[in-house]
Amino acid sequence: MLTLIDGIEAFIGRLKAIHPLLPWLVALLLLLPVPHFTANNYQVYLINFICIMIILATGLNIVKGFAGQVTVGHVALYAIGAYTSAVLSTKFGMPFYVNLPVSILAAMIFGVLVGLPSFRLEGAYLALATLAFAQAVEVYIRVTNYLGAASGIGGIKPPEFFGFTLRNYDEYYYLVMPIMLLAVYASFAILRSATGRAFMAVREDPISAASMGVNVRRYKLIAFVMSAFYAGLAGSLYAHMLPGYVHPNNFTVIEMVTVLLMVVLGGIGNIWGGIIGAIIVTIVADITREYYFYQLLLFGAVIVGTVLFMPKGIGGIIDRYFVNRRFVAARELTAVAKRGVVGSASREE
Amino acid sequence: MKKSLNCLVIAGVLAAGSAWAGEIRIGATMRMISENGQKYGEMMQDEFAAINESGGINGHTVKLILLNDECKSDKGVANANKFAYQDNVHLIIGSTCSSVSLPIVDVTAQAEVPQIIPHSTNDQITRKNSAWVFRVPISSRYYKGVVSKYLHDKVGDQIAYVYASDAAAMSETQGLIQQMRDVYGVEPVYEAQTQEKEIDFRSHLVTIKDLNPDAIFFGGLQEPIARFLVQSYEVGIPASVVRAAGSAASNAPVPKLAGDAVKGVFFSAAYSDSDDRPIAQLFNSYVRSRYGIKGVDHDFSQAYDLIRIVEIALGNADLSLEDDDLAADRTAIRDAIANVQGYEGLASGPISFCADPTPECRDGNRTPVLIQYLEGGEDFKVGILDRVTMPVEFGL
Amino acid sequence: MIVDFLVVGFSIGLVYAIVALGISLIYSGLDIVHFAHGEFVMFGAFFGLVLVNDSGLNYPISIFLAMIFAGLMGVFVERVFYRRLTSKGGGYTVAGMGMIICGFGMAIILQNVAFLIWGAEGHAIQVDFGTPLKIGTVNLPKSYLWILCVSVTLMAVLHFFLKHTKAGLAIRAVAANKDIAYLMGINVPLMISLIFGLACGLAAVGGVLIGPINYVQVEMGYLILIKAFAAAVVGGFGSLPGAILGGLMVGIFETLGAAYISGSHKDIYAFLLLIAVLVIKPTGLLGQLAKSKA
Repeated sequence: MLTLIDGIEAFIGRLKAIHPLLPWLVALLLLLPVPHFTANNYQVYLINFICIMIILATGLNIVKGFAGQVTVGHVALYAIGAYTSAVLSTKFGMPFYVNLPVSILAAMIFGVLVGLPSFRLEGAYLALATLAFAQAVEVYIRVTNYLGAASGIGGIKPPEFFGFTLRNYDEYYYLVMPIMLLAVYASFAILRSATGRAFMAVREDPISAASMGVNVRRYKLIAFVMSAFYAGLAGSLYAHMLPGYVHPNNFTVIEMVTVLLMVVLGGIGNIWGGIIGAIIVTIVADITREYYFYQLLLFGAVIVGTVLFMPKGIGGIIDRYFVNRRFVAARELTAVAKRGVVGSASREE
Repeated sequence: MKKSLNCLVIAGVLAAGSAWAGEIRIGATMRMISENGQKYGEMMQDEFAAINESGGINGHTVKLILLNDECKSDKGVANANKFAYQDNVHLIIGSTCSSVSLPIVDVTAQAEVPQIIPHSTNDQITRKNSAWVFRVPISSRYYKGVVSKYLHDKVGDQIAYVYASDAAAMSETQGLIQQMRDVYGVEPVYEAQTQEKEIDFRSHLVTIKDLNPDAIFFGGLQEPIARFLVQSYEVGIPASVVRAAGSAASNAPVPKLAGDAVKGVFFSAAYSDSDDRPIAQLFNSYVRSRYGIKGVDHDFSQAYDLIRIVEIALGNADLSLEDDDLAADRTAIRDAIANVQGYEGLASGPISFCADPTPECRDGNRTPVLIQYLEGGEDFKVGILDRVTMPVEFGL
Repeated sequence: MIVDFLVVGFSIGLVYAIVALGISLIYSGLDIVHFAHGEFVMFGAFFGLVLVNDSGLNYPISIFLAMIFAGLMGVFVERVFYRRLTSKGGGYTVAGMGMIICGFGMAIILQNVAFLIWGAEGHAIQVDFGTPLKIGTVNLPKSYLWILCVSVTLMAVLHFFLKHTKAGLAIRAVAANKDIAYLMGINVPLMISLIFGLACGLAAVGGVLIGPINYVQVEMGYLILIKAFAAAVVGGFGSLPGAILGGLMVGIFETLGAAYISGSHKDIYAFLLLIAVLVIKPTGLLGQLAKSKA
């Protein structure tokens, strides 16, 4: 296992040395033939679902893990993205390539609305405000006949490009996978830039961050809008995936806890956190499908256990392994250098 | 020694695994974390186990895979996909929730797996014109016809409606309102939606009390119905105002929870506890002794009818059960279910299907019974007000 | 008519107020928001159910015992699970966020444990309150009077306990500043457990009080919890009189909203009120200035 991680890291490092975008291209090439290696259609469906969850969890990790804003309203933004697409597709007959940007825009507008209270509210207060927002959105969808109310909206058309329609999960994979990769790439690029460092400064200590010249309000808002972007993207992709049906039951607090579990287990504030978490949680949820009486109990226990005993999640453990190894390597290096110095000194004598 | 024993066991399991190739696989997705689904699931497992013990169907054993969808469409769709592509089932049973059955219809239509629905009443399910879907319970379009006629003829036109935001209650109540409007030209005096698990209906009820209607209609799940009835007396709505409820009122917890408040409440359902046919009496005593349920409701009768229909259809279908013939077997099962005509079981009326992928052919039962509670509590009593067989095209 | 609505809003508001009291107590004492508090309402209601229906105890004694049991359960959960986080100091630190996430996880665990014990079916606590009182045109069920009496008694006892006993003084000292309380010789860990137990006991009382009217069910906690959150915030988070005022306001506000604006949107009003209060005056109506970082 460890040698595998080492090998992958070394390989990525070598690719990066050639061109920074090369690892991503290799990842794309590796992921392209995946549907042909799966045993059946259901597994492709699961992989598509994992891609959507990765986008959603990455978004939550940005605002929660990096900017340190305790939001519980992420699923509401996901719902807004999904319902915008659903309404545009079924009521106005709009195609996918219009729905996707409009859904993202709608989610981002609401992201601003969620982000504004964060100027004045912190910690627990913000959690409560966003919880109230999420609950209000869910209840509003549930009782509004235009939005299908409790019957949900069905018959959302699958995406169509130049007369070619993505009619099954295999074809949908070639839409959702590249978008996921792009979204993950964007999150890496932003979080490793000055913006990402500003987020972390805001998380660690807003007051010191402000004194260092970071515009705290601005970066809080950017974090919220970015996470809304991801939520809207995931929502739109979810709505258009077969069978094209959205229902308020899919956007409740249980879903919020599931996404939370992904981020926490993967490593909150870890750049890989959302990705690791989304993959593991979706697969475990599938394996434990037949043990439905105990599934949620397991999820709850994993959340509590992770928070108590592994606050940095799986991503944190992997990180620590790298840091340790680098530390060991650095010590060896200095030891070698010292010996060299001693050696040369003795020769001079 | 132990190791070799383990190897033997594993070899045995593998041998048994290959022998299972000739079994009929059935996948069921339901809301399991609720009293309703749990009992449904238990009953299905027991019944299919009994079929297997008595030699199976045409010598084939039946394997039932039971999954939970929590009444969430994404989980239900995932379950249906798993059944269709991974478990390669021959038949899908599900779901108990209309909001899950609706999207699954599209999945089964694309995967070409027959789907038989145990407990979803939303009329849109069969209106999708999928060739692969069959419904054992009564569609909400038949319920609304019976209830609206009874309300108009016997009770009055001033009706207040409150309904929970779940797909079945919504289609039932909104259909009823629409029916009253279209056929009798009556507008509701009050109409409001509540949350599925609402605990406090009194703000609605106080308003309704002031409007002084002839009747109140409540659509929702069993616990909210009971709460609603109790609270309606609490705010002082007199007993002279008729209380009507959705088909979920037939579920046993309602009279137990609501106690005396349930007296006089009427609803339409697919089965009545006080049915005096011998088969129904037999069934009642069987369920009472086996599952410890005092009031046998139409959840049980529908689960039982569904299993019998599946048994008949599987018996008539010519199945090879080889892995290569999966598609042919699925088609054969579909056609066999479509050939079930005039099945007389526990249900209020005969259940018939036909080959056309239209609601006329796929809504099997079209005979709702109007039932009234005579006494509440653990040992409640019900009486049958009326039993109407609706024309097939009603409400389309 | 309006009196009817006020009676209804008042009675449900009192229940929100009791649960909100517990939430506020935890917040003022430990600087954390307890998201699993609704599950203690549920567990309390189930304890009441078992005591009344199965053991045949009378209602007031059952309320008291359910309160004790849920309190002990709260202490257990706090000692075993939360202590690792609370000992680091909650509030706006990473531990504070950990506590919020941990609360969600704990809520799911407790809910599913209750499901495995009692199943998903709803049960009614069987108490016969007799016929409603009629005052003029207004109908006043006796169950409302029970809610009123019990909650007023509880609030009075809590007030007396906090303001006029030594343990109450110690709790207030811990709430004000844990480090200084330590130096003053107060057993801070014990006090934290006491706060938690008290709060969970209060939640249980809320559960038993609505048990006969609204039934006991595994999923009942969440809806009450978020209404109680709204109540606690509206009144001023951490302020005990504020929690009571907030509870009543939320109850009456949502009942009147359902009556005069739109019945279908009843559950949204409480959240809109909460968001409005948070945005306009985050400290709530009676709250002191939110504790801010140095």
